[in-house]
Amino acid sequence: MNERVKKLKQRLYVHKYPLCIEKFRLITKSLEKTEGDPEILRRAKTLANVLDNITVFIEDDELIVGNVASKPMGLEIDHDYGTWSQEEIDALKEEGYTISPEDEEELKTLNHYYKGKSLVSRMGEILFDNERLWPFVQSGMVLPPWKSKGEGSGGGYAQGGMGLGPGLYLMGIDFAKILNDGLYKIIEEAEEELQRVKYIDADSVKKTYFLKSVLITHKAIIRFADRFADLAAEMEQRETNAVRKQELERIAETCRRVPAKPARTFYEAMQSFWFIFLMITPSPTAAAGRFDQYMYPFYKKDIAEGRATDEDVLELLECLRIKDMQLNRVSGKLNRQKNSGMAKWHNWTIGGVTTEGEDATNELSYLILEAAKDCPTPHHTITVRVHEKTSDDFMLKALEVVKAGVGMPAFIGDKSYINFFVNNGVDLRDARDYIVTGCLDANLPGKSRTASIAMFIVPLVLEITFHNGVEPRSGRQIGLKTGALEDFQTFDDLLEAFKSQLAYFMELNAERDNIELIANQELLPDPVRSSFMVDAIKEGKALLDRTMPFENGAVMNPVGMINVADSLAAIKKLVFEEKTVTMKQLQEALSANWSGEEFEEIRKMCLEAPKYGNDDDYADLIAGDLYKFWAETTATFATALGGKHLPTAISITAHGPGGEMTGATPDGRYAGEVLADGTMSPMRGMDSGGPTAIIKSAVKIDQDPYQATLLNMKFHPSALESREDLLKLSSLIKTYFKFSGKHIQFNIVDRATLLDAQAHPEKHRDLVVRVAGYSAYFIQLGRAVQEEIIGRAEHDLQGVAN
Amino acid sequence: MTNLSAVEGMIFNVQHYCIHDGPGIRTTVFMKGCPLRCLWCQNPESHSMCHQIFFTAEKCAGCGKCIPACPIGAIHIQDGKAVTNRNLCQSCGVCTTVCLHEARNMMGTRVSAGEVFNKIEQDKIFYEESGGGATLSGGEPLFQSEFAASVLSLCKKAGIHTALETSGYARWDILQLVLPYVDLLLFDLKHMDPSEHQKCTGVSNELIKDNVIRIYHQQKKPVIIRIPVIPGYNDSLENIEATAEFVACKLGASVPVNLLPFHRLGESKNERMGVQGLLFNSIPPSEQHLKELKEIFVSHGLTVQIGG
Ligand code: SF4
Ligand code: SF4
Repeated sequence: MNERVKKLKQRLYVHKYPLCIEKFRLITKSLEKTEGDPEILRRAKTLANVLDNITVFIEDDELIVGNVASKPMGLEIDHDYGTWSQEEIDALKEEGYTISPEDEEELKTLNHYYKGKSLVSRMGEILFDNERLWPFVQSGMVLPPWKSKGEGSGGGYAQGGMGLGPGLYLMGIDFAKILNDGLYKIIEEAEEELQRVKYIDADSVKKTYFLKSVLITHKAIIRFADRFADLAAEMEQRETNAVRKQELERIAETCRRVPAKPARTFYEAMQSFWFIFLMITPSPTAAAGRFDQYMYPFYKKDIAEGRATDEDVLELLECLRIKDMQLNRVSGKLNRQKNSGMAKWHNWTIGGVTTEGEDATNELSYLILEAAKDCPTPHHTITVRVHEKTSDDFMLKALEVVKAGVGMPAFIGDKSYINFFVNNGVDLRDARDYIVTGCLDANLPGKSRTASIAMFIVPLVLEITFHNGVEPRSGRQIGLKTGALEDFQTFDDLLEAFKSQLAYFMELNAERDNIELIANQELLPDPVRSSFMVDAIKEGKALLDRTMPFENGAVMNPVGMINVADSLAAIKKLVFEEKTVTMKQLQEALSANWSGEEFEEIRKMCLEAPKYGNDDDYADLIAGDLYKFWAETTATFATALGGKHLPTAISITAHGPGGEMTGATPDGRYAGEVLADGTMSPMRGMDSGGPTAIIKSAVKIDQDPYQATLLNMKFHPSALESREDLLKLSSLIKTYFKFSGKHIQFNIVDRATLLDAQAHPEKHRDLVVRVAGYSAYFIQLGRAVQEEIIGRAEHDLQGVAN
Repeated sequence: MTNLSAVEGMIFNVQHYCIHDGPGIRTTVFMKGCPLRCLWCQNPESHSMCHQIFFTAEKCAGCGKCIPACPIGAIHIQDGKAVTNRNLCQSCGVCTTVCLHEARNMMGTRVSAGEVFNKIEQDKIFYEESGGGATLSGGEPLFQSEFAASVLSLCKKAGIHTALETSGYARWDILQLVLPYVDLLLFDLKHMDPSEHQKCTGVSNELIKDNVIRIYHQQKKPVIIRIPVIPGYNDSLENIEATAEFVACKLGASVPVNLLPFHRLGESKNERMGVQGLLFNSIPPSEQHLKELKEIFVSHGLTVQIGG
């Protein structure tokens, strides 16, 4: 880090994060004025009102400009996702956020305006009086549980970013086109297209609204950049330091040019990128896509023409990391539990193959890694695509960053990721261009988007199967009647019953997703992101109004599948094969949460039964069968956007709250204990064979049908000391991917460090760990997540010499 | 011809993903039994060829469940923890099956070469990518030479690279049984002076020195020399100088040397087995000191690395 970056980074550590309402106020004003307009036009005008009027500022030392909220390190209350109750605000104030008393007062009035107009209430209109769906969403099987009709599920958001929702979409826009063409080009296209529209059907009218909204937003984005140009010019006048004066002059010139016109230099491309990135946030899942690919031509030209050095480029890449760190985010209490640690997944995808199948790694790929190592902030995150020809040098570079302890990059296997698309009918060349969006889900830039990602807690279904369709804690019959425990004569009877219950609830999940998709479609049309998708102007449709070239609008995500696999393995062995325990005894033990001597013994037997993650077919094949069933069943449900549901398997941190809701399970787990993390990782403490056994188990699961899977491994630093160690780890990763593994990530921290950080958080403000697809400051995580990270199977290397 | 797979032996661990026991990703088999008694031994559970009860006091809840389980009444509770009378204990293992807290474990399993081989073979896909394989360690693998030879020979038949980690203290005819199936030796040199060697390990080093020369020159087997660095015992500049000289002159400058710094893992293990450790007092060497020692080898033209 040079002095500039150090100073910028230092400013990230603030004592309190300001909650801001300026954006909320501007949005409200505009919405009042535009009442009655078509929704998409309304939102375009609203965005324009924000961009034209929100406070802008340029901070000292900044090279890339564009503030994310009206105050430094601020978070703007988001109007799109429900309202903030007093209780939630109070909770936030306790957790290190501030809000001025006047703003707090005004917020109440602003809240008032939205009563009954949120996404949540729109979904509620259908869900509340539906006899199947209401108990389902209440059960929490899809997180978070929807407790009462008034509340919705999870509360609001406050976050940085200048755009409008929707937030949690997994998608990548076509950055290459924006940087190379500029917004004027899109404006031109839209204007021409507008003249060509013939009003012969409903679509053509809607197309007009869409095109007009694109014109409004894009012109506003250009004006927004101009405001920074003006500001920089003004600051330059006042500036006395000659160096800074020059920098401000360059900032002014640059903001005058991009994103309106094509970027010509790496610096312009970076600034253009950041303005556009600001427009696709607030979104915790805004993805940069293949940053090392579309930025490379600018880099190469600058280097060739002597305009920039690698140091200059590195500085800018680090400035961008700092910028991304300003995009903070906080959600309602329930969602805070689900995604701990200011969760966001601003993912930069690097490496991998080109559309022609050659190695795509370039100098910039290395520099992006170097920036993460040199400026170790938890965001943005980096995902390295690995293929057969990925060089040892690049793997070593990536592993050095892992070793530095920032929990990134994550590694993913091109083979299985590409197979996913090809098997779903995507052209091989397109498939090779996939990017990572959100935590680990793959998408095609400009060509696909996932808008609904429900976290489904599978062990709850096993519990309900044990109770013949009754939810044990509420006593309600929410599932099918698949038979009492005594009726199960064989293991297959039980498995059959479980699968019918699962399929039933999955269908409810799919229905819920469709309601969510359509609510999003109607309430939150987004002209900005829509316009950056392939053929957007010609199609003339918003994101959710069109069927994309690759249609993956909704994905279904099983959490705790490994606990179910282990549970079923224990039942198969103890109840049906060895017959040492009866179903009834087992159920009693579970109901008693294993307490009582007899039940403790049953627990011991359950714990000793085969477990996934030990390269033991007994449990592994059950896990494989369950994941196969999940994938096949998912694909039988249509989505409201014209495709079918697709399976994905990432649990983020949902295994925490999911576990809290779930009673004791036959794998020996206590009630309330967290579920297995990741989706390919064994249950904590249940693996004894080390990393190779885990990988052998994981490759018995067919991962190709999944849009993503997740495998966490925690290594002790002693496993990564020498170059040889890193090469061995690299070959471990490559072996996993060769056999169609999808993803692996490492936490490199020793226990002692973590324990010390718990005891003395002030000493470890910098300690970054990998939570699940994203990195976070360890001390900002909840206690339970901290404990879990400490407890995650640590593959320390024994086998020491005599 | 004997059925290799059926040959039985005693092991106490099979460790996967070992990255410090030879090239690539390896699976290391820790075998029981050792003719040496190095004062600093990190794996005291390897000494005896018998089963042993391993007791982890921190895990013991003092519930007393193991007391009635023991057929000879070798266990009682003292200060809230189970105490085993090691003179009475027959290592039958019954108590390990009743403990709900994993406080009691059996060290040592009798297994066939075939079973061990199956465990090794499980990780074949990783050996292929990384250039790894199997390593026999211990204890002293040559202590169970027929078993060791059987496991190694099964590996060779399956195309798996093999390494033998040894103190080299064995008769030549024993070594000859095993060597044909070994691709690489990780050979310990603990002290150059015969009487010091005797003091530190319980045996003299003449046989060891002869063996390594014969293995390297006569049998033409690749050897990596491993030197445990135990401050106060074998880390004097003179001894290290003598060791470097021996490797460089008696073997060859192309033989790689690994320095393995002492650490304290072995201490709690003794306690858990209820075994009195030998009188020993050392501390892990400083980085500075290790560098100094490393330089000595470098000055003899040797390639040396710290750690295996
Ligand atoms: S060793 Fe196990 S069974 Fe014996 S007292 Fe301790 S906890 Fe109880
Ligand atoms: S191993 Fe057998 S004899 Fe020894 S303490 Fe346990 S039960 Fe008693």
